[in-house]
Amino acid sequence: MWEKVISYMPHWQVFLQGFLAFFIPYLIYKLFHVFLFVNKSNGKIDMKENSEQSETIQIPVQKKLEQFTGDYSEDFLQMKKELGHNWDIHFREFQIGNTDNRAAIVFLKGLCDKELIDKHILKSLMNGLSERSTLIRGYELQQLIVNEILPVSDLLEETKVMKAVGKVLTGSTVLIVDGIQNVFIIGTAHGKTRNLEEPVSEALVRGPRVGFTEKLSVNTSLLRQHGENRNLSIIEMEVGERTKKELVIAYIDEIVEPNLVKEVRKRIETIHLDDVAESGYIEQLIEDNYLSPFTQVQSTERPDRVVAALLEGRVAILLDGTPFALIVPVTFNMLLQSPEDYYERWLSSSLIRLLRYFAAGISLFGPSLYIAFVSFHQGLIPTKLALSMMATRQGVPFPALIEALIMEVAIEILREAGLRLPKPIGPTMGIVGGLVIGEAAVQAGIVSPIMVIVVALTAISSFAIPQYNAGITLRMLRFVAMFSAALFGLYGIILFFLFLCSHLVKLKSFGVSYLSPTVPYRAGDWKDFMVRMPFRMMKHRPRLLKPKDSVRKGE
Amino acid sequence: MKRKHRYSQYLLVMTVPFFLTGCWSSKEIEDLGLIVGTSLDLETGDVSSEEQQDARYANRELLTITNQFVTSETTVSGTREGALPEKAYKNVSETGDAVLPTLRNMLLKVDKHSFAEHSKVIIIGEELASTVNLQQTLDFFLRELEIRPSGLLLIAQNQASQALETNEPTKIPAFQLVEMMEGHERTTKILPPMTVAKLEGKLYSDSSFLLQNVIAENGEVKFAGAAIIEGKTKKLRGFVNESDIEGIAWMSGDAKGGLVKGFDEESGAPIVYEIISTKSKIIPHVKGDQISFTIKIQSEGRIAEHWVLSDKAFDNQFLKKAEKVFEKEIERLVMKVLEKTQHEFQTDVSGFGNKLRINYPRVWQKIKKEWDQTFSEVPITCEVNVSIKDYGTSGD
Repeated sequence: MWEKVISYMPHWQVFLQGFLAFFIPYLIYKLFHVFLFVNKSNGKIDMKENSEQSETIQIPVQKKLEQFTGDYSEDFLQMKKELGHNWDIHFREFQIGNTDNRAAIVFLKGLCDKELIDKHILKSLMNGLSERSTLIRGYELQQLIVNEILPVSDLLEETKVMKAVGKVLTGSTVLIVDGIQNVFIIGTAHGKTRNLEEPVSEALVRGPRVGFTEKLSVNTSLLRQHGENRNLSIIEMEVGERTKKELVIAYIDEIVEPNLVKEVRKRIETIHLDDVAESGYIEQLIEDNYLSPFTQVQSTERPDRVVAALLEGRVAILLDGTPFALIVPVTFNMLLQSPEDYYERWLSSSLIRLLRYFAAGISLFGPSLYIAFVSFHQGLIPTKLALSMMATRQGVPFPALIEALIMEVAIEILREAGLRLPKPIGPTMGIVGGLVIGEAAVQAGIVSPIMVIVVALTAISSFAIPQYNAGITLRMLRFVAMFSAALFGLYGIILFFLFLCSHLVKLKSFGVSYLSPTVPYRAGDWKDFMVRMPFRMMKHRPRLLKPKDSVRKGE
Repeated sequence: MKRKHRYSQYLLVMTVPFFLTGCWSSKEIEDLGLIVGTSLDLETGDVSSEEQQDARYANRELLTITNQFVTSETTVSGTREGALPEKAYKNVSETGDAVLPTLRNMLLKVDKHSFAEHSKVIIIGEELASTVNLQQTLDFFLRELEIRPSGLLLIAQNQASQALETNEPTKIPAFQLVEMMEGHERTTKILPPMTVAKLEGKLYSDSSFLLQNVIAENGEVKFAGAAIIEGKTKKLRGFVNESDIEGIAWMSGDAKGGLVKGFDEESGAPIVYEIISTKSKIIPHVKGDQISFTIKIQSEGRIAEHWVLSDKAFDNQFLKKAEKVFEKEIERLVMKVLEKTQHEFQTDVSGFGNKLRINYPRVWQKIKKEWDQTFSEVPITCEVNVSIKDYGTSGD
């Protein structure tokens, strides 16, 4: 019996081949993990050092949290000591009405609404009090100021010096009055802000022409403006150790899964950085796998996109000082979707969405397929095409990989240069670069005309992806695909694709599988995946987010 | 520090393979010589090399294989600098007693890496086909992985290598032949293409079949009739002409498109019938030992041309008359070719035996060894039914 079994077995070389086919990739995978381990241990050491440093620094900071005394001159000097060396901080001393009560306001030039200070603070306080109140001091005066004198809506009382200092630095006005222990903090902040403009990075043909700005209050108001929604919760947090910045988490209470919000808060709380300059910092610090080439947080400039995500049960993170809001969790198909898909009719937007998937495929595999066909699988090319390819490649001195690399790298440089150049020069660059690559390189016999077509198609395809950072990812992986194609031909491309798939299947973004609804398979969610079905058919929210309320209301 | 050094070594190991590009089986497309056609001939003249003379002494048949190469040099477009090549193809011949060693000897003459995955056509010379078993000749081509089963098979009268030559320098003869073959959908005078894949089935089932015949003279090729390959010996038995092919096409129902020219009985003017569709059925009858066949042909079509002055095409009577004329003509074509295959060649090329095998398997078991002999004596009747659907845009 065994003889028969053995006779059916393939030749030992086939075993060897199969073994190598699995072992080599496994080896690379293991090596990758060794790298990962090293990085982790390095990271740990760094973190320890950081925490030690921060402890030593934090001690004097805590000492400074002194209270106001209520004695005018002492409090004034205290403020002067903290802020007096700054050119842009104004200390304005005056007397309240016709009393002896001395007072001072401290404010930052430029960040304040001067008109409000002049008309409603100084004027009210200096214009004089009524007869009966000229003698009152202390608590009574405090009540009088709060209730009668200051016609200002945003009024707070503060006892701690450092808090008051912080408020001054963000544009509030601090009012120190003799005999009152607390100081008044009046919200006069009126920072410079950009007008609402159309988002540059995500242009639409149809849809609201409004994007977020750098001001957080404007951004949250844009979310509120979208429609009355009692359930829209906007929770405030603070990030940054040295430069405090406001950050809000937005979600819809009735829909979102509570654990998701908890997770987001937890991850944001672990951010310990001097300064969080842009939401990109947050993105990188809260994502699940920082070694993955794929972006696991969606960033967008469009309020409508954020609102749509919130209504699906996702969470948005908005940071002060940047127009880019973050959406978590994110799935791969979100990166290939545009808000316009929902604004246009379902047939056309489904077709366009399919086109984007196709473009993503070209952008990832275009040049690598060319390499594989030209140097390994000439039999798979239609005969006439093979003949013309032969003719065009005649005289090209490089193998297909080098040829493709020259062109791809050139076009990447061109793209980067075009991005960085001042606007008036940009188009010139494009024309010059295009001419050099398209015409001169072919004329010089460095590359073949078909390669130019492939590269142009790939470059254009990568710009058809609506999410910019997803486009970068695919462009990056394209080079890996090209190398594997040059090594193993189509087999290599398939191997690379399998690696990519296995990585993507494993990848999670805030507990949600990156490839869902394909893996895990959820047929119900496919209505909004490759195609966009009519709204009448999409009655349920995506199940992967485990929304509290799974039915979309108001059909 | 030492650990870091080790990891950089890993990195080196990982990156080095990426610089070994073009390794293993990689071959750049411009270094290939695409074989687009192959011809096989019997070598009768003097041979030069020692190897060939040895084969001759051992009384083995010598083959001359001609490969048609298309390389990056021959396809260079006119815009590039340098002189235009004289021909768009390059034919290389080599002689030997077996196919693969001969092809390997071709390496001595060609600088390009030969590559047969785009091979379109195999042409076998008349002499070779009639002396050597087709299965033996083509064994290599059926075995070889690189040769696609979609390649065509043709028989050439005279020298097969002549069919791979042309007077027009920009054309590639192998492609020309393949494109001419496409014409079988518009005329019944060309056989449906016999591919290597189909051939394999025919060869192993020992059935007789037809191969398209091509005549090449002075750089011009022409399809002319077909060659009959006998199932038992797998050798060329003889040729039939174009009108015989028409008859066979009617019998087998392969007439996808084409014309029938009939003559009006009274005036003798031609009327032309264009086929829209055909169905045909071969029905075997067995009564005792007596085997007979009926061929039922049904066709629909239109009048494409009509020279008869006296008749109006609108007239139903005229249409009836015309149908009769065509029916008669088709029957004549069929009977003519049956006469040839039954009596002259005694070979069943239209699958009568197959029908008998399906319908009367027991009878077939008894007579299958002597089938060709039996076939020549079997009575065959033909029933044709033509219906004219329309007479084109002009009715008058």
